[in-house]
Amino acid sequence: MKDLSVTGVTKAFGPQDVLRGVDLAVPHGSFTAILGASGSGKTTLLRIVAGFERPDEGEVRLGDEVVDDAGHRFVPCQHRRIGYVPQEGALFPHLSVGRNVAFGLGRGPSRKERVDELLELVGLSGFRRRYPHQLSGGQQQRVALARALAIEPDIVLLDEPFASLDAALRASVRADVLDVLRLAGTTSILVTHDQDEALSMADQVAVLRHGVIAQLDTPAALYGHPEDPELARFLGESNVLEGEVRDEVALTALGPLDLGGWGGPAAGGRARVMVRPEQIALGEVVDGSVEGTVASYEYFGHDAVVRVRSGAEGLPELVVRVAGGVPPEPGRRVGLSVRGPVVAWPMEPAEPAGSPE
Amino acid sequence: MSATGAVRRHHAGRRPLPLLLTSVAVLVSLVVLLPLVFLVVQAVQVGWAQLHALLFRGLTATLIWNTVSLLVVVTALCAVLGTSSAWFVERTDLPYRRLFAILVVIPLGIPDFVVSFGWRAIFPGIGGFWAAVLVMTLAVYPLVFLPVAASLRSADPAQEEVARSLGLGRLRTFWTVTVGQARSAIFGGCILVGLVVLAEFGAFEILGYQTLTTEIYNEFQVGFNEPAACALSLILVLLGAMLLASEGSVRGRGRVSRVGAGAASRARPARLGRGSPLVLAGMALLVVLALGVPVGAIVYLIVQGGNSTLPPASLFAATANTFGYSVAAGVVATMAALPIALLSVRFSRRRVMTLERSNMLVLAVPGLVIALSFTYVTEHLLQGDFYQTNPLMVLTYAIMFFPLAVVAVRAAVARSPVGLEEVAMSLGVRRRSVLSRVTLPLIGSGLAAAFALVFLETATELTATLVLHPTNVQTLATQFWAFESNGSYSQAAPYALVMVLIAAVPGYILGRWFDRQPERAAGAGVPLAAPAPGTLVAA
Repeated sequence: MKDLSVTGVTKAFGPQDVLRGVDLAVPHGSFTAILGASGSGKTTLLRIVAGFERPDEGEVRLGDEVVDDAGHRFVPCQHRRIGYVPQEGALFPHLSVGRNVAFGLGRGPSRKERVDELLELVGLSGFRRRYPHQLSGGQQQRVALARALAIEPDIVLLDEPFASLDAALRASVRADVLDVLRLAGTTSILVTHDQDEALSMADQVAVLRHGVIAQLDTPAALYGHPEDPELARFLGESNVLEGEVRDEVALTALGPLDLGGWGGPAAGGRARVMVRPEQIALGEVVDGSVEGTVASYEYFGHDAVVRVRSGAEGLPELVVRVAGGVPPEPGRRVGLSVRGPVVAWPMEPAEPAGSPE
Repeated sequence: MSATGAVRRHHAGRRPLPLLLTSVAVLVSLVVLLPLVFLVVQAVQVGWAQLHALLFRGLTATLIWNTVSLLVVVTALCAVLGTSSAWFVERTDLPYRRLFAILVVIPLGIPDFVVSFGWRAIFPGIGGFWAAVLVMTLAVYPLVFLPVAASLRSADPAQEEVARSLGLGRLRTFWTVTVGQARSAIFGGCILVGLVVLAEFGAFEILGYQTLTTEIYNEFQVGFNEPAACALSLILVLLGAMLLASEGSVRGRGRVSRVGAGAASRARPARLGRGSPLVLAGMALLVVLALGVPVGAIVYLIVQGGNSTLPPASLFAATANTFGYSVAAGVVATMAALPIALLSVRFSRRRVMTLERSNMLVLAVPGLVIALSFTYVTEHLLQGDFYQTNPLMVLTYAIMFFPLAVVAVRAAVARSPVGLEEVAMSLGVRRRSVLSRVTLPLIGSGLAAAFALVFLETATELTATLVLHPTNVQTLATQFWAFESNGSYSQAAPYALVMVLIAAVPGYILGRWFDRQPERAAGAGVPLAAPAPGTLVAA
């Protein structure tokens, strides 16, 4: 178990800059997610860490050892003790499950026991003699994990391992994998474009954007306090309003909103204020409350997203998430209130407040 | 893999070419291109003045006309016959289509000169241009059928449905989508047909039709006129090179395959309706003409029996010799193809691709020309050493059919996902071990296919064998030819039969292999991993 540090890593493919100075520190034993849109370079970063690609500049360290300095120092992949779980699992199709798991193990006498142990760990005891094509997608993914863990890696790299699974299966395989990794206690890095996956699995999430790490934080801090509106939108739906900051409070068309002690722009400054959809509550219209009209809704069962239009000046169409129950019909007048602290960013001079996305 | 030094940007992040693999690949390519070099050396020795006199004479024009007109007509007929039969077998409700899928391909395993021999035995009067057209078309149309059938099988039928939904009629859908999907397969097959027509000797000799190749053979073997053979060889190679070059221009930029994931749905076969009996009769006629006539003729000749003025020969010895040469050539060509295939798939950069392509130039050089260039060099530069020896014979076969081996091995390497090798390395397994534990097992069927292809071609090769075989070693082809030239058809027939039987086995293996390709990949639950974005862009 080692920690990983990536410093100033750049990588270009031909004229295209993919990574433009990535710094990332992953403490040992932690589960870190690298979250990025497709084409953001997240897989390239993972492949550099694994040793499949070399950076143009920068340095990769595993524990105390520099494994790649973009120059003469380069530890090839097979000497890095890295457990790699690629997209689609990539099991060896010509080998049985048992032989897949044993692939990286030496020819010791304890080989068979170790394979059994690993298969039990991933909940697939008794699958030893099966072949990859006889397994479901989720089972293949768990075998790939067992195979990666067999060499007792210092660090496990997961490259979008759940992307090919269907939605129903994904959640349960995710939970299984997380359990196994926690049990094994390895340092893990997950690359994904799925916000839910990153937020629900990781101890810390690094958002990779335009070739650099835009923010590295705990899931709650990242979701609650993204460093700019683009990050806010990337991590989930958000309403961005115009406002003015005064005494830890943002004055907006939705009324005075608590900044929760996170600072924000200097008092008296014009600001953009982000309110998450689930922070807004719909209620009866009472005296003094901000009012709006339900424009439309999407019903998901466990919750619903309601779009509310308000006549108030400076108030865009709002996205509101309401838990359970029957959402209000379009056309209905509702009262709006905000729960919990919100985030404010200083307004750049020529920039209007964004519309809800 | 060691560090590359601190060259920035475009090269720093690139994996260096593996030294051993690269050196072997370059060496192999040099050997493969030897005959071309020898041909040029020979041409220089003959001198321009003499070449000029030989090239610009009436005979040359006649030969070119004979060859090119035949090539055009045969290729066109093969395109029509191969494509339509592939469509009937793959995309319609033709009765017995699974049986036809096999029967229609078998003629590929029958040497062209045996087809010619069969027709001649039944219809002794035939000869000339149209006889050559008939025989060649029936002998080589599977070269179009096979790739077109494979591409129709793997193409997504949903594209046809989409076209229909966009308002295209049945016929326009067929032309724009179905033929479009198979376009590169059709052209690829046609190029192969053209190259075979250029290189063919035996079939035309039997039918008394004069082409460049038959004339080269006669100038050399009968007239001992080396300069004339050299001059005509230059024309022949030039024609072949033009054919090869045309493939690149026709292939175009688009990719003919499915984009994106999503399983291909099974095509709903087009209904032939009342046309069904007609198509069935047509397919049956094709099988009778292409398969029935030559095989029937051979069997008839054997049953009928007869006497020969030639000394009796051993069918068994000839079979053993042919078998030996074919195995040796298959092993040599497949092993030599492996480094080039590995290098070109895993390190596909411009220089590597040029190296791989250069090997394909051999396709333009008929076996006869290769044999002649080796003869020239061993006679004039090596004082006769190596001439008509087993190693030179095997080397000639291996070079002749090397491109086939490269194509088969390359396809298999390209289908084995690079991700699997990366995973293997991440598990701490060394590069050489990865080759033996992951790569080779995965491409095993491709290696077998490459071996089978070269084996099949070698077993039925006539022209180069006639020139280069050691005088005391008779193969099936040389023995067949001796009897045939002597008019002893009944004695020649058993040799033809054994050749057909020997070729049928690898032919069957190949058919199975081509059929299983798409299914294997999908069935194994490991999708044909698209190359990682990195590898793609780096290329």
